[in-house]
Amino acid sequence: MTRAEAFSDREVAMCTVGRLIEDGKTYWAAGGGTPLYSVLLGKKLYAPDAQYVTEDGVIAPIPMLPFEPMMSMVASRATYKALSWGTMNTAGYFAQLGFMDYGILNTLQVDKHGNINSTFLGEYGHGGRRMHGPGGADTIAACCWRTILITDQEKRKFVEKVDFISSPGFLDGSEGARERAGLPRGTGPWRVVTPWAMYDYQDRRLRLMARVPWVTVEQILDETECKPLVAAEVQVLEPPTEEELQLLRTELDVRGQTSDAAGGWIIWDGEQYTRQAAG
Amino acid sequence: MTLATSQPLEILAEGRAPYHPVDPDGFREWVREHKSRAMVSKLMSEKEAVERFVADGDYVTYECNYLTRGPNLVLNEIMRQGRKNLWIAGKFTYVDVGLLVGAGCVSKVDTGFFLATPAVKKALAEGTLELYEYSNVVMSMRLEAGAQGIPFIPIRSFGGTDGFEYSGAKLIRDPYTGLATVIIPALNPDVAIVHVQQADQFGNARVFGTGISDVPAALASRKVIVSAEEIISTDEIRSNPGATSIPYWCVDAVVEAPFGSYPGTVPGYYASDPAAVMECFAAVLRGDVQAYLDKWIYGVQSHTELLEKNVGVAKLLDMKKRETIKEGFRA
Repeated sequence: MTRAEAFSDREVAMCTVGRLIEDGKTYWAAGGGTPLYSVLLGKKLYAPDAQYVTEDGVIAPIPMLPFEPMMSMVASRATYKALSWGTMNTAGYFAQLGFMDYGILNTLQVDKHGNINSTFLGEYGHGGRRMHGPGGADTIAACCWRTILITDQEKRKFVEKVDFISSPGFLDGSEGARERAGLPRGTGPWRVVTPWAMYDYQDRRLRLMARVPWVTVEQILDETECKPLVAAEVQVLEPPTEEELQLLRTELDVRGQTSDAAGGWIIWDGEQYTRQAAG
Repeated sequence: MTLATSQPLEILAEGRAPYHPVDPDGFREWVREHKSRAMVSKLMSEKEAVERFVADGDYVTYECNYLTRGPNLVLNEIMRQGRKNLWIAGKFTYVDVGLLVGAGCVSKVDTGFFLATPAVKKALAEGTLELYEYSNVVMSMRLEAGAQGIPFIPIRSFGGTDGFEYSGAKLIRDPYTGLATVIIPALNPDVAIVHVQQADQFGNARVFGTGISDVPAALASRKVIVSAEEIISTDEIRSNPGATSIPYWCVDAVVEAPFGSYPGTVPGYYASDPAAVMECFAAVLRGDVQAYLDKWIYGVQSHTELLEKNVGVAKLLDMKKRETIKEGFRA
């Protein structure tokens, strides 16, 4: 593994999630962008026997990369050499049956109990900003055993309470809240990954568990409106490697649409990594 | 073995949104009266199909979206004919809802996923568009219930969300398990539009590749328009019955539609036209829908004319050539 000299914030998040991917487990990845690239990165470099599905019911494809722009589901390259072609209904059945170990999602807003908003910013129906809605994320968050969420480390994205629960986390955070709402037993949020940090949950409450070397816990908390719990020992995440970045840049996000080159960049100066904020 | 004990059924919570009426017996009667069991040719143009089978105020579902195996030629024709007050099943949609709303065709959307474009935001602000909140899978499960001829279906998702509050879902105590369980109303649309790779003249249709809810949508809907890249013989259908996704009796109109998903892709047949896809995205996202509609929809009389005037043979051949993957997309 080779030390990477320069990379973007978003690339860090995808590499971090890629390393969470495990052999012999199943992943329902939201159909494009960071979730799909993360699971493919993990599968290609670390866990070849991890399998994934997307919302169109494809099972374990060997996609022909790169994808066509803006097309990661139903299209022939994305569904190439799958074990099975299903539908959105069959994807839903397998999740309801308990076959999906992990769901991987991204979002614009998350709260301290892992609830996800992709529908509306502001008071629903009164001005505010309409967004695209949950898509398939609601079912992923409800029925996969564990949910991994990817988002940017920005204050406005980590709130006390989301404006609108599009996809369920631990709801009000009380024990059994998901089951009382009709969701399957034993499911729920597991990790949140940002370019700066990784969070887990303690008693259904967001907890900072790890950080990248170039930011401090204080900096992370400054970019988190809801104050998360902080683990007694916050681990330090490994920076991306050249091998990971090579794969991301030449096979996955070849047009840089997801990696967000206009965002923050991290540079190795010969002694340490330093982050340069977006211009 | 544990002895089953039943628990009283109880409604614990209810969403407050209006939903398309649930009427399984009414649907059966419609089928009895309107769905021909005779093997008669249903071949017609997209113009005739929309004139005959899409009315103002109809609830319309369509499969996939404008980028991938969408029934674009029929959606375009709906806009060309200026249908009004449609109620759209907005599952797995993309730019298409923005186009339909921009064209003034839509007053209600059950969503899902769609791009909240300037036209959509404007219609919401002016009160000419109402949204009811579901998710993609919840919508396809509603169609699944509609396809089974049952009034509702229990699901293990959707509970606890705010979408639930603005939907037609209910939370019940299930009498079999005693668990809180979400139920959602069956969806039996007035119209389903499905673009497929192959069909015969009667409507026996083959869908290849992954999909959203092609088959449930066709079974659940009163009027079904199938557009097909290729019309094949019934002998060919009979040579591989396992490949038939939708049987003829569900189908009311069959439209021969080569490049029917242009500018999107049909897996196994042709790749998309990226420049035209970008043009569509840009128009919809920048709120410039009118110019797009003028050029691509109102400015031509038919999909054939669109392909002839705005696209040309060279580009179509190139799209075919770029779709190198064929495996699995033919019987």
